[in-house]
Amino acid sequence: MSTFDDPFDADRELTRSGCICGGHRSADEHDHAERALRCEPVLPAEGEEKRYEAVVASAVMRAVFPSDIARRAFLKSVGAGAAFAALSQFFPLKTATEAFAEAGPPEKKDLKVGFIPITCATPIIMAAPLGFYAKQGLNVDVVKTAGWAVIRDKTINKEYDASHMLAPMPIAISLGLGANAIPFAVPAIENINGQGITLAMKHKDRRDPKDWKGMKLAIPFDYSMHNYLLRYYLAEHGLDPDTDVQLRSVPPPEMVANLRADNIDGFLAPDNVCQRAVYDGVGFLHILSKEIWDGHPCCSFAASKEFITTSPNSFAALTRAIVDATSYASKAENRKQIAEAIAPANYINAPVTVLEQVLTGTYADGLGGVKTDAKRVDFDPFPWQSFAVWMLTQMKRWGQIKGDVDYKAVAEQVYLATDTARVMTEMGLAPPAASYKSFSVMGKSFDPAKPDDYLASFKIRKSS
Amino acid sequence: MSLRLRAAIVSIALLAAFLGIWHLATRSTGATANMSPEYARLMGLTATQGKSAMPGPADVGAKLWEHLKRPFYDNGPNDKGLGIQLAYSIARVGTGYLIAVIVAIPLGFLIGMSPLISRAIDPFIQVLKPISPLAWMPLALYTIKDSSISAIFVIFICSVWPMLLNTAFGVASVRKEWINVARTLEVGTLRRAFTVILPAAAPTILTGMRISIGIAWLVIVAAEMLVGGTGIGYFVWNEWNNLSITNVIIAILLIGIVGMLLDQILARVTRMVTFPE
Amino acid sequence: MTDKFISIEGIARRYPGANGDATTVFENLWLSMARGEFGCVIGHSGCGKTTVLNILAGLDEPSAGTVIVDGQAIEGTSLDRAVIFQSHALLPWRTVLGNVAYAVSSKWRKWDRARVKTHAQKFIDLVGLSGSEHKHPSELSGGMKQRVGIARALSIMPKIMLMDEPFSALDALTRGTLQDEVRRICLETGQTTFMITHDVDEAIFLADRIFLMTNGPGARLAEIVENPLPKDRGRIDLHRHPYYYALRNHIVDFLVSRSKSFATDVPDHDARHVPTVRPGVGDPVIVSPPRVVEPNAAQSAAR
Repeated sequence: MSTFDDPFDADRELTRSGCICGGHRSADEHDHAERALRCEPVLPAEGEEKRYEAVVASAVMRAVFPSDIARRAFLKSVGAGAAFAALSQFFPLKTATEAFAEAGPPEKKDLKVGFIPITCATPIIMAAPLGFYAKQGLNVDVVKTAGWAVIRDKTINKEYDASHMLAPMPIAISLGLGANAIPFAVPAIENINGQGITLAMKHKDRRDPKDWKGMKLAIPFDYSMHNYLLRYYLAEHGLDPDTDVQLRSVPPPEMVANLRADNIDGFLAPDNVCQRAVYDGVGFLHILSKEIWDGHPCCSFAASKEFITTSPNSFAALTRAIVDATSYASKAENRKQIAEAIAPANYINAPVTVLEQVLTGTYADGLGGVKTDAKRVDFDPFPWQSFAVWMLTQMKRWGQIKGDVDYKAVAEQVYLATDTARVMTEMGLAPPAASYKSFSVMGKSFDPAKPDDYLASFKIRKSS
Repeated sequence: MSLRLRAAIVSIALLAAFLGIWHLATRSTGATANMSPEYARLMGLTATQGKSAMPGPADVGAKLWEHLKRPFYDNGPNDKGLGIQLAYSIARVGTGYLIAVIVAIPLGFLIGMSPLISRAIDPFIQVLKPISPLAWMPLALYTIKDSSISAIFVIFICSVWPMLLNTAFGVASVRKEWINVARTLEVGTLRRAFTVILPAAAPTILTGMRISIGIAWLVIVAAEMLVGGTGIGYFVWNEWNNLSITNVIIAILLIGIVGMLLDQILARVTRMVTFPE
Repeated sequence: MTDKFISIEGIARRYPGANGDATTVFENLWLSMARGEFGCVIGHSGCGKTTVLNILAGLDEPSAGTVIVDGQAIEGTSLDRAVIFQSHALLPWRTVLGNVAYAVSSKWRKWDRARVKTHAQKFIDLVGLSGSEHKHPSELSGGMKQRVGIARALSIMPKIMLMDEPFSALDALTRGTLQDEVRRICLETGQTTFMITHDVDEAIFLADRIFLMTNGPGARLAEIVENPLPKDRGRIDLHRHPYYYALRNHIVDFLVSRSKSFATDVPDHDARHVPTVRPGVGDPVIVSPPRVVEPNAAQSAAR
C-alpha cells in the first residue's frame, strides 16, 4: 500500500512493503485533511515539505544503515530527533529536500480532465474539491461525460488533457480496436474492486449462475473489466457468454432504469450503480467483483502519449495529484468525507447514502441484509503491467484481438509502471519493486510470464 | 360565455384532472416489507415507503420552485442553474441556426433563381435532407474534433434543409408578373432580389425557418445528451444519471416552454412579413 | 404614314414543338404607329396578341424580325416602355404610394425620398386615388388596383404605354369609368399607347386605329381599321354616332367569320402592306391601297 514512510520511526520497517497510515498521525496532516474537506485550498503547506524532507532523510538513512536491524537499533539508542539532527550535520538535508521538491513548472496549468460519474472515478473527482490538483499548481476542471465512447473521442480530440477510462480502454485505443490507433498511456489505476453483479429482484432465488441461461445481462462497455470479469465468471460456471446469455453494452446511468423496466435481468456494473439498484429496491447484489478477483483493477487514469511528451511537467503534476488523491482515498477513515465531497450534482450526482455504502463497505445487499466489507472498493494507483497482460489475454480470448500480440511490449508501452514508480518515490511513497505480479482469478492463478499458456487453458472461449 | 372563456375553463379542468390522476397514481403505498431499521436506513424511499418511482405533481412543483428561486447558480463545470443551462442550449441553437440562415437563404436564392443550379444541386439535397441530424454527430466529432462545435454543426445541418428548400421554392414561385414589373422598370438583379423576390418569398422562407427552429430545438437536447458538458440536454442526462425523474420532468416542461416561445417568435415574424393579396 | 414612332418589322414567334417541328404563333408581322397614337389589337385568344405586346415591352424576344421604337431597335425592357398588366401586378407588400414610388425611384435613382414621394403623389392624384396612398393593394377594389397600375406606368413618364387587357377582370361599370380615365389621360398627355383587348366597344371608344389579327397558329395582321369617330367622342353617346354601327359590325364580322377563313380567302395577303379601312356609312372604304409604292425595305429598316 502506498503511504508515507517515516524513516525515523523505530517501529517501522523501511522496506517497501512497510505501511503506516501517514493520514492523521500529525496535527498538520489532520488539519490538512480537514481544510481539504471544507473545500478550502490546500496549500503546499508544512506537511508537504516535511514529507519531502522525510524522503531525502529516508534515502540518506538507508544509505548509512543499509540494514534495517542496524538502523532500528541506532534509532532506538539515540532517538529519532537526535538521529535527524546528527544526520543533518554531515548531510545538507534542507538543500537536498528543496532540490527534490522542485519539479519543473507545468507547461499547461489549466487542464480539463473527463470523468464518468461512478465511484471508480473517486480519486479524479475528489482531487478537485479536496484540492489535490491545486496542490500541484494545477487548475483542473473535471468534466462529467456521457459515456465511454464520448470520453474516448473527447480525449483523442484533445478536448480533455487526460481522462478517466476503463482500464482496458487505453490498451484498446493504442491497439486501434474500435478506433484509430493512437498511443495512450496509463500512469495510474483509479480503483481496485468496487464492482458487482446485480440481478433483478425476481431472480433472488436463482443464485447459481448455471441457471442463468438465456438471461440478458448488461455491461458498461466492450473494452471493460466488467465485460471480461462477467465473461470469466460465466465461463467458469460453464456458460458460454457469447451463446448462452445476451450481453449488452448499456451506459451505467441507464442500467437501473432498464432493470426496473425488465429489459435486462442483471448487470456487472461499476458502483454506485449496483448500490443504486439496491437503494431503489429494483435489484440485489449477487456478488461483489472482488469475489471474482480480489484486487482487480477497474478504471484507469489515462492520457495520450502526445500530451505526455508535449507537457511532461503537467502530466507529472497530474500523476502526482492522482497518486496523492488515490493514497488519500485508500484510507478507510477518509471515505465518509469523500462520499460527501463527491455526491453533489457537480460531481457524481447521487444520494450520499449510496456513495457512503459503496465507499465505507457497510451496505444493504438488497435482500434485507446489511453486509460489511471494508475492501468492497479500494484505491491503489500502481499500474501493474501484469494487469495489462491479463486484459490482453481476455481480449484475445473473446476475439477482440485476432492474431498474435506482443503482451509485454503493449503492457509496458501503455501501463507506465516505471514512471509511476519514480513519481511515487519522488513523492515519498513506496512503489512496488516489480511491475509484474501474479494473482489469481476465481482460484486460478495467472502467471504474467506465460500469457499464452494461460489463454490456452480456457475451454470456453471464442473460436477464432 | 365567450368561446375563449369556455375553452379556458375546459383547459383548466383537463389540467386539474391530469394532475389529480397523476397524484393518485404516484401515491406512496406505505411501508412495505418489514425491514430492520439498520437496513432501512441504507435504502431509498422507493424501497422503504413503497413510494412510486415516478414523482407526484407536488414533488415536481416543489422542485420547480427550488429551481426557479435560483436559476443562475454555478457550482462548477458540471452543475449549473437551469437558467444557465437553457442559455447554453439557446446560444448553441442560435449560433447553428444563424449560420444555417446565412448559408441557406443565399443558396436558396441561387437555386430558386437558376434552373440549372437547381437541377444540379437537387440530387445532393435529396440525399442529404433525410439524414437524421444525430447521425452526423460521430462524423462531426471525428472531423471537427470539438464537441461544442460539433453540436453547433449538427444544429446547422438539421436546420439548413427546411430553410434551403423553402427559400428555393419561395424564390422559384415568385409570381412572374412581379418579376416582370421589376424587369420593365429596369431594376438590376441585386435590387430585384431584395425589393421583389425577398419580400415575395419571405412568408415561404419564414415558414421554412419556423420548421427549422423547431427541429433545431428538438435536436439540441439530444445532441447535448450525447456530448454532455452544458445545456438543458446535459441537465436531463445528468439528472437521469441520478435517476431524478422529478428534475427530468421539470426539464421536459422547460424544453416544451422554450420550444413554444421560439416557435411563437418566428410565427410572429412570419405574420409580419406575410402580405394579404 | 411616315411618322413611324413604333415600327414592328417582320417579327415572328415560334415555339419548338414536341415532335421537332416548330409551332408558329405568328409570322412576318409588320405594324407601325405614330407618336401620340392609341392603337388597339383585337383578335381571338391564341393569336399571339400578348406575345406581340411582350415583345414590344422587351419581356419576350421575337424569333425573327425587329422592333424599332423612336429610331432605335429595342433590346430588352426599358423604362421608356411602361406596361400595365392584366392582373395589375401590384407588389402586395407595398402600399399604393410604395408601389408607385418603387417605379419612380427605379427611373430616377438619384432622387431623394421626398422628391420621389411628391412625384408619385402627383400620379396617384391623376388617377383619382388621393387619400388611399397608404392602403395596401389587398384593401383596394379591382378598379382601384388597376388605377394604381396605371399611375405606376404613367409615373415613369414612358414614351409608350403598353396595356394588356387591363380592364378585362373588372365589372362593366368600373371598366367604363376607367376607360374614361384612360382616354382623358392619354388625350391630356399625348401618350402613345398600345393596347390589347377582347372588347370591341373598348377598342372603338379608345383607339385611333384598331389592328385586327386572324386566328393562330400562324396568325397574321389582317387589316388596320381607322376609327372614323371624332376625337372628342364620349362613351355615353358613342353608339349614337352614325358611323358607330358600321365600324362595330365590321370588327364583329371579322371576329366572327373572317378571322377564321382569312388565310384561305386572301392567299396573296401582303404582310408588309396591310390594307387600312375606314368603315363609315355604306361599305367600308379602303383608305390606303393594298399595294403602294413604298420606300424600299432597306430604307425602312434603316429607320
